[in-house]
Amino acid sequence: MDRGWWWKFGMIVAVTLGTFWFLIPTYYSLVVMDRDQRNNLALLQERLPAWAPPAKYRLNLGLDLQGGIHMVMRVDTKTALQKRTERRGQQIATYIADKKLGEVTADTDPEKLQLTLTAKDPATMDAIEKDVLATYGDFKQVRRDGATLVLAPDESQTNRFREEAVDQAMLVIRRRIDKWGVAEVDVRKLGTDSIQISLPGRSNPEQAKELVGTTAQLEFRMVDDSNPQFFAQMFQSNPPPAGSNITLADEGGFPQLQAPTREALLDYTKGKVPENRVVLTECIANPMKKNECTSYRTFLLDKNVPLTGESLAGADASVSQMNEPEVNIAFDAAGAREFEKLTEAGVGKRMAIVLDDNVHTAPNINEKIAGGRARITMGRMGARSFNEWLGEAQTLALVLKAGALPAPVTVGEIRQVGASLGDELIKKGSLAALMGLGLVVAFMALYYRKAGLIADIALILNGLLILAGLAFFNATLTLPGIAGFVLTLGIAVDANVLINERIREELSHGKSAKAAVDQGYDRAFWTIFDAHVTALIAGFILFFTGTGPVRGFATTLIVGLLASLFTSIVVTRVIMTYFVHGKNAQSVSV
Amino acid sequence: MQILKNKTNIDFIGKRKPAVFISTLVNLAIIVGIATVGFNFGVDFAGGTVVELKFDHPVSAAEVRERAEKGGLHDVSVQNIGSEADNSFLLRLGGVTQLNEANAEKAKAAIQGLGNVRNVYADLANGIVNFRSATPLDVQTIKKAVEDSGTGVQEVRVLGENQGGAGVDYQVVASGMADKVYSALSAGLEKPDFEQRRVDYVGPQVGKQLRNRGVMALLYAMVAILIYVAFRFDFKFGPGALLAMLHDVIMVAGYYLVSRREFGLTAIAALLTIVGYSVNDTIVIYDRIREDMAKYKGKPLAEVINIAINDTLGRTILTSGTTALSLIGLLVFGVGEIFDFAMAMLVGIVVGTYSSVYIASPLTIWLDERAAAKDARHRGGDIKHEPKTA
Repeated sequence: MDRGWWWKFGMIVAVTLGTFWFLIPTYYSLVVMDRDQRNNLALLQERLPAWAPPAKYRLNLGLDLQGGIHMVMRVDTKTALQKRTERRGQQIATYIADKKLGEVTADTDPEKLQLTLTAKDPATMDAIEKDVLATYGDFKQVRRDGATLVLAPDESQTNRFREEAVDQAMLVIRRRIDKWGVAEVDVRKLGTDSIQISLPGRSNPEQAKELVGTTAQLEFRMVDDSNPQFFAQMFQSNPPPAGSNITLADEGGFPQLQAPTREALLDYTKGKVPENRVVLTECIANPMKKNECTSYRTFLLDKNVPLTGESLAGADASVSQMNEPEVNIAFDAAGAREFEKLTEAGVGKRMAIVLDDNVHTAPNINEKIAGGRARITMGRMGARSFNEWLGEAQTLALVLKAGALPAPVTVGEIRQVGASLGDELIKKGSLAALMGLGLVVAFMALYYRKAGLIADIALILNGLLILAGLAFFNATLTLPGIAGFVLTLGIAVDANVLINERIREELSHGKSAKAAVDQGYDRAFWTIFDAHVTALIAGFILFFTGTGPVRGFATTLIVGLLASLFTSIVVTRVIMTYFVHGKNAQSVSV
Repeated sequence: MQILKNKTNIDFIGKRKPAVFISTLVNLAIIVGIATVGFNFGVDFAGGTVVELKFDHPVSAAEVRERAEKGGLHDVSVQNIGSEADNSFLLRLGGVTQLNEANAEKAKAAIQGLGNVRNVYADLANGIVNFRSATPLDVQTIKKAVEDSGTGVQEVRVLGENQGGAGVDYQVVASGMADKVYSALSAGLEKPDFEQRRVDYVGPQVGKQLRNRGVMALLYAMVAILIYVAFRFDFKFGPGALLAMLHDVIMVAGYYLVSRREFGLTAIAALLTIVGYSVNDTIVIYDRIREDMAKYKGKPLAEVINIAINDTLGRTILTSGTTALSLIGLLVFGVGEIFDFAMAMLVGIVVGTYSSVYIASPLTIWLDERAAAKDARHRGGDIKHEPKTA
């Protein structure tokens, strides 16, 4: 055996051991852990031995195998856009009246999204047209007939607005899911106007409905700071039950209750609040993962809601002259009056901004604010980069917009699989895979004898490698994925058929055992390579264009083809070479 | 053990003309069939709702349908899945929401009858109706009015008061079909005697997107593979591989067409895998032809190809056979789409093997012959011109 052989042999041993090592988290999550704890990464990490790979490298089961809901929501950007155009129309009409240019009525066409301004006095229209077009850059003129001016929103503006509408809807959905305390939820944007949500292990369509059901509710409520020690007293006089994980946190002189779940806080404070007060919670975000709440804290608020998102005309994040991020908000006329009243009475107090019963922030009221325009400056807490700081202002602006101009959401796609069906599919899928694999293994051993057995060893290693590879890429195993797995093994064994047939052929030409094996592998290599690359091309295209289960299938196919290149060419050759060269054999069993 | 004891010497190439003729005929028939009859598109592509139910006692498909119809579900298809003892059924409903064109007109009229209402706008794709009322309306009143007109309402949303004081905006969201299945079938029962095991609901817009993406994926894969083959082999091999690939894809599509099996995302996955497998198979034979071309220089290409195909016949049968063997488990245990996938793959493996011999190779020979003829003509022309230049 030469040095090259030993190198390869060492590599194969290392890969095999690594494969087994890498499958430990998967083994634990599927076999050792309880069924309903399968997705609990933290518990898995705890259970895993210290020398095992991190828990996140476990093979996920797709929603079709473990039960769950996959949803695609479509954001009704058209309705949102129509509402916005209307609002702009009202603003333009007010602007014209304020500037004493004349008097117009604004009308929006819900289908074409066009804004029609009709002047009471046709003579004023020329001046209005000129001024409006110069002032409102987000509108283009469509046509002008005498006293009417038809405008259409500028395309780049509407595109930006559409994007914003999807972001808003996503934020609302995240906040709502967060209320259920589901940790493994995956929410992501899909295309230009859709949002994809995965809820593994969940099969309650009612919850899914809650996501789309109601439009976002934005409220401005006064924080009751008349008794700063309110929560501290509650905590001391009536300690929370053991195991509820509720603690008292004191930040800035206002002690608040803090707990890892919302329910714990709401349950505990229930019935302990004065009549016209209400307790709501704020999410304390995980600094590493922006969209995850590590814990929640309580706020004592007035039950009365003086101002809602409906009175809000707009919100925007910007950077002040002091180079601090801030959010500028504007109220409509009625809102401005109410806001002035509130701020006058509440100087020195805090006003909470609440979206869907989640307190988002509670800025201090520094002075009475008249005119309906206010600025919320973002305090800089802890060590944060400027971008993170600015990001917070942008999120707040998004929260405000979500409440002011809610974009209605409809369900585009729901795929829900019950847990029992998932279990059945896993069972059937594994049986199918084992049967297919068993038949191929038996056939190879019978047909090619020793060379067949060697191919079988490689095939089994190939199967394990695919599973480990999928775990490494954080891929998800779906039912089509299992089909892909089986098929990949069927194709992988083709490579060994090609090699063995070639060796037989070389032997029939009268070559020695050694020469036949060497030539068999060398000649078959490019054939196998070309065949694998073409199949890989199909796999990659499937991966980049597919969604959901089909993508799972493509991942399996790709990982499988790569693993098969290694096992069918490198692994079998090393073993064959050992039997032929190492033992100096005169014959070879193929 | 050996599958073919002696070397075969079958004249494959000699029979290429009738084979190409028959293949072309079958392919054309399938294309015509797809264009006229069309696939049995699943919810993935057509949009719609599929619900899988498992009853806890034996029932027949007819009973299930009867119950569904009694509960107000029309146009529902009920199909028994799995074995008889499973008591499992697939219910298919065409519409996604209860708002269709006829319903929408009625709903619009009902809304208009509520009072000073304008800007009524129905969005069928999303199953919603938007409108504005000059005076605030009661949500329950709106709901009742629309439901009485024949459209189930999931909810009525208040979109807010118009800032100019022109009125209040409302959005009526029509009920989805999946909810209706559950309530229709459990109507009159104290406790449902079935379990809702799976729901697939795809909106028409999403369905269209998925279909377009699937077709694009197929095209991309074909082009990418063609480029690779042209790059790795001689140019004249490329068209043969592509034609064989097209042939196989059409044949597998034919399986879905003739069997009336549901054509969905898994079918696209099967077609794409066939694209990869077909070329894989063709390349293995091409590779041998390339090798033999160097070995038997001077022999006509048709003869060389025949030798190559005969030499590799044993292994061609073996590689196809082992791949087919791996599918048996899926055929035995797979239900629904997975069974169809395995079946389609089986068809693909058989036609893929056939097309490598009878489609890819003849085209290569034909291209070679044409090139040779052109070459000869060209050379003849040169000789004619020679005296002039000399």
